[in-house]
Amino acid sequence: MARFLVHRLFAAVLTIFVTTIAVSMLIHLVPGDPVQIMYAQSQGTTPEELDAVRERLGLDRPLVEQYISYLGRTLRGDLGVTIRGEQPVLELLLARLPNTLILAASALFIASIIGLSFGFVAAYKRGTWLDTTLMTTAILGVSMPHFWLGLILLFYFAVQLGWFPVAGSGFPNLVLPAMTLGLTNAAIIARLTRSSMIDIFDQDFVRTAHAKGLPKAVVLYRHALRAGLVPIVTMMGLQFTYMMGGAIVVENVFGWNGVGRMAIQAIFQRDYPLIQGFILMFAIVVVLVSIMMDVVYVLLDPRIRH
Amino acid sequence: MTDTILQTAPGKTSDTAEIVLSVQNLSTEFHSKKGIVRAVDGMSFDLRKREILAIVGESGSGKSVTSLSIMGLLPHPAGRIADGRVLFEGRDLGQLSDRDMRKIRGTGLAMIFQEPLTSLNPVLPIGRQMTEGIMQHLGLGLAEARERAIEMMRSVSIPAPEARLKDFPHQYSGGMLQRIMIAIAMSCDPRILIADEPTTALDVTIQAQILDLMRTLRDRTGASIVLITHDMGVVAELADRVIVMYCGRKVEEGLVEKVFHRPRHPYTLGLLGSLPILGQAGAVGDTELTEIPGVVPSLDALPPGCRFSERCGFATDRCRAEDPPFEEAAPGHFTACWHSDQLERAAR
Ligand SMILES: Nc1ncnc2c1ncn2[C@@H]1O[C@H](COP(=O)(O)OP(=O)(O)O)[C@@H](O)[C@H]1O
Ligand code: SF4
Ligand SMILES: [Mg+2]
Repeated sequence: MARFLVHRLFAAVLTIFVTTIAVSMLIHLVPGDPVQIMYAQSQGTTPEELDAVRERLGLDRPLVEQYISYLGRTLRGDLGVTIRGEQPVLELLLARLPNTLILAASALFIASIIGLSFGFVAAYKRGTWLDTTLMTTAILGVSMPHFWLGLILLFYFAVQLGWFPVAGSGFPNLVLPAMTLGLTNAAIIARLTRSSMIDIFDQDFVRTAHAKGLPKAVVLYRHALRAGLVPIVTMMGLQFTYMMGGAIVVENVFGWNGVGRMAIQAIFQRDYPLIQGFILMFAIVVVLVSIMMDVVYVLLDPRIRH
Repeated sequence: MTDTILQTAPGKTSDTAEIVLSVQNLSTEFHSKKGIVRAVDGMSFDLRKREILAIVGESGSGKSVTSLSIMGLLPHPAGRIADGRVLFEGRDLGQLSDRDMRKIRGTGLAMIFQEPLTSLNPVLPIGRQMTEGIMQHLGLGLAEARERAIEMMRSVSIPAPEARLKDFPHQYSGGMLQRIMIAIAMSCDPRILIADEPTTALDVTIQAQILDLMRTLRDRTGASIVLITHDMGVVAELADRVIVMYCGRKVEEGLVEKVFHRPRHPYTLGLLGSLPILGQAGAVGDTELTEIPGVVPSLDALPPGCRFSERCGFATDRCRAEDPPFEEAAPGHFTACWHSDQLERAAR
């Protein structure tokens, strides 16, 4: 267990290290003069001001040197300042991150509740019309793009029915984006749950549980579901990171003030320090979640724990 | 004379003991895309109190399907009981509600399976898997159930049971796990234990210990045991009476001593390791054969007449045309063979 964790942590640090290299070089991937591109949209920037920015970003120094100084600053928690307004990137990101995490977590919650119950019932009733109906719904869900479902929900529940606000960042505003993100991912969880549970229902130990004369509910939940949960939970970790990605789209559809919305704005404004900070932070969140999932996985499956 | 002595020997059941389980003309079918196969075909037997009845036959003869049919645990929806009934203490199990059947499982009928490792839940501690049935059926609280579980583990000779409750199946050896399976099965004092090849997955020394354990449990609790095996050695070790199954049917039935002393079906002879090779019946020097030639025919391609005729060294044209009836060949000794008389002579 300890060795496993050390191994995972090492891999995590390596992942983030590689990300920092990619992020620091990002600015040079764009053809042309990065500083000019950054300020292309802002009228009235003088050549002297551009030179000052170049100086500050150190873009004329050798790449290795640039990277080392970037890494040094990053390690000290300095992600630079935005192009416009010159606000500290880290502060901006940290202020918005909770909103995105809340959105992704709520979506995962919705996805899990719906996905687990659909998948479980479909597996239990496999081969019946109920199974077919649930799984057809799931396929529709998987194939629906986030922005599309988002717009449908927005149009129907916010515009037509007026149940939820169209944009904003309070709790009522959370419902529609979380549903959008949750429903499309619920479908993936439902399909995985179904196949995992069908596999489990045929296992010898489920038959043993029936042979003991336990009530059906106990057999299904304590024995079957628990054992089937291991691969499903692993999947959920991946789902969470997908949702962070999906959040970028959904936040923009619903005007939800998370880092995703900020990232899109940063891209439109060519705000490189902010984009770099966003990518790095995203990588860190993904890595942390995957470590957490590994730990949960180990806790759920005693065969790995020992 | 020997028969009377055997029947009244200590630990042996008598012919007059109460019948606890009666399987009557049981037929079980499996439905698949290829069609319907009848894995058990008209199986009947009675099990008496304290009796150990062995059901023996090669792999695929329908032993597991018979036991799962009795327990009501056939794979759903592929398998179903097509005909016949199972009476447990006089109650027709097929007529019971799912709920009532669950009350009988564990307390009336308990079962242990061939593969202890896959038959226990890998993600639940052994203690939980032991106590859950006890709490369910005996109405005990967790602490008392734990006590009972420890007591049961001790009775099957698990060292330091208190410390092992929290362990998971993969932390036990195969032999220890099969003991756990037995302890679980016996924990609610079932009247009948169905043991489906309980020692097949274990090595020989452990096998003997497990069989010994089952006998002890029978003697102590008075439970009856249906012992399923493909090993005649196991039958000799433990059983009072034996049923030999082939292709879903009984081919021979009788007290173990009688069947071993004078088998009346060529298949039984084969299982005992002395069947003459096909076409060389009676040839000298062929008695060391331990394998029956050929393979169990597929259930959808059974030969006409006697189902064993393709592999039988005694087969005649009649065998290949007519199905032999299952009849009493000697008092209390039944067989389904046209030539069981000749077999007697050949075996001499
Ligand atoms: N789940 C199943 N689906 C289809 N056929 C089955 C299934 N289980 C058993 N059978 C059929 O029943 C026959 C007897 O199986 P089984 O009772 O397991 O044999 P045994 O326990 O004597 O080795 C098999 O050969 C197979 O044809
Ligand atoms: S009936 Fe014929 S073929 Fe069948 S077991 Fe007897 S001798 Fe062999
Ligand atoms: Mg079997």
